[in-house]
Amino acid sequence: MKGQLPKRIFAPKALILIGLIVILISGCQEAPSIKFDRVKIALAKAASADALTYAKATYTTADSLLAEAQLEIAHQNGRFFILRDYNLAESLLTDAHVLSFQALNEARHNKTSLKNHIGDELASLKSELRDWREALAGSLIIFEAEKIWSSANLALTACDKLIDLGEYNEALREAENARVKLHALGSLVEEYSNMQAEKVKTWRNWVVQTVENSRLNGSTAIVVVKASHKLYLVRAGKIIMTFNCELGYNSAQQKYFSGDGATPEGTYKITHINNGSKFYRALMLNYPNDMDRRRFSANKSKGIISRYAKIGALIEIHGHGGQNKDWTNGCVALTDNDMDRLINNVSVGTPVTIVRVSDQWP
Amino acid sequence: MKANRIFILIAGLSLILLAGCSKAPEVEMNKAQESMQAAVTAEAEQYAPAAYKVAMDTLNAAKAEEKEQASKFALFRSYGNAKKLYESAQYLAENATTEAAAEKERVMAETQAMITSVKAVLDSAATAIAKAPVGKGNKADIELIKADLNAANGAYEEAVAEFAAGKYLSAQAKLEAVNQKAESLIAEIAKAKTMKK
Repeated sequence: MKGQLPKRIFAPKALILIGLIVILISGCQEAPSIKFDRVKIALAKAASADALTYAKATYTTADSLLAEAQLEIAHQNGRFFILRDYNLAESLLTDAHVLSFQALNEARHNKTSLKNHIGDELASLKSELRDWREALAGSLIIFEAEKIWSSANLALTACDKLIDLGEYNEALREAENARVKLHALGSLVEEYSNMQAEKVKTWRNWVVQTVENSRLNGSTAIVVVKASHKLYLVRAGKIIMTFNCELGYNSAQQKYFSGDGATPEGTYKITHINNGSKFYRALMLNYPNDMDRRRFSANKSKGIISRYAKIGALIEIHGHGGQNKDWTNGCVALTDNDMDRLINNVSVGTPVTIVRVSDQWP
Repeated sequence: MKANRIFILIAGLSLILLAGCSKAPEVEMNKAQESMQAAVTAEAEQYAPAAYKVAMDTLNAAKAEEKEQASKFALFRSYGNAKKLYESAQYLAENATTEAAAEKERVMAETQAMITSVKAVLDSAATAIAKAPVGKGNKADIELIKADLNAANGAYEEAVAEFAAGKYLSAQAKLEAVNQKAESLIAEIAKAKTMKK
């Protein structure tokens, strides 16, 4: 009819339907793709900071959560669009994101801590190694101790190289190896000291006897103390001269057989004065004495030394010393000048007592 | 009526066919996972980390694609893409395994070469000591050198044990230290020779 508008343009049902569709579409969620990519980047950053090594548990959890989120997103993507719900995926991604940063920080912190710890440990071990070097160099050489010291030194060198490569866990293991070796070194030296402690009384008695006899007779005697590398000239019970001396290269022990490099410990006498020795001048001693022979036989019987070993002889006090190390095959070496001074004051028959340690004299 | 029945029959057959096309790629998935496991066994994560990561990411993408399709209404599922991704993952995992094996072989060969060369230096040091003329002036030095050489030999044995246990970096660091020591001992022996009396 005239003046009436077409009905279909303003039909209320059509308007309502359009309105509903708009509401539904605007209510649908979008997949959290950007967030997913951010978490992936965060995880990659943690991995490049060695989180797999230094924050393994946190990193692995973050990685698992990311994988779970990926599957959840896929699951929702597959649903009819108005049914999609990405809330769980969002939640998983949030947790994964937090853990990724945590893994990164943990890795940085743990790596720095470990590096610092290794640095401190290495410094401490190197200091201990230096202390042992001084202790071993200042005393009679114990070759077994030298071997252990050298092993510890090698372990610390390897530790240094592993630190340079950034392999801190391996470096820590090597430092521990060095520490075990230094502990073994300590045990060895302690064992040696304990063995010595048992014999100290015997050595003390020898020295006391020698000095007392010298005092009673007004005579001359020589006392050699191996540990301090000193030779004392005693007259009437008093020290009248003191000399530095050098010994057999293996003098941390008693002499067992010919060629073992040890200076014998015992009570001897000068048997001969040689003024034309190849070592300038020499005082021959009566090694082996009866005690030496008994010990040698007993050691052979027990199998401590080879049945082919020889007891040896030609132990002297001679010149060509002054080399600042133990270098002889068992003799006691003085400088040539000191030999002159000594020989002027001794004679055939002068007692010579050699001990490893003297705890109460001079 | 007859035309309607034919139409229903054709429609039903079409529906069955379509449903058959949307089968999950189980075979491809299993193959990809087996290849991934082989890569893990070959220590690809340690020796070919980049290749391993790419393979793992592709496998995860394949799983996600499969999951997405599985969530759809059966008629709308299409596993073609998931199948391709699983096949890619399998190929990449095999690639990572090959790369890892090659890298491991290279590191092993490098360490083995170091073991051989350090042994030669240690043997040279031992020969030098054995031949060094010994006199009163240098016996102590020679004995100390022997003690050091014993220690170096001990560290060499430790390095060989670490190589056998697959700890190649640690073995290499130790071998470098031993090599350094052995060379310094050879120099010391030469010096000790001049001090013989």
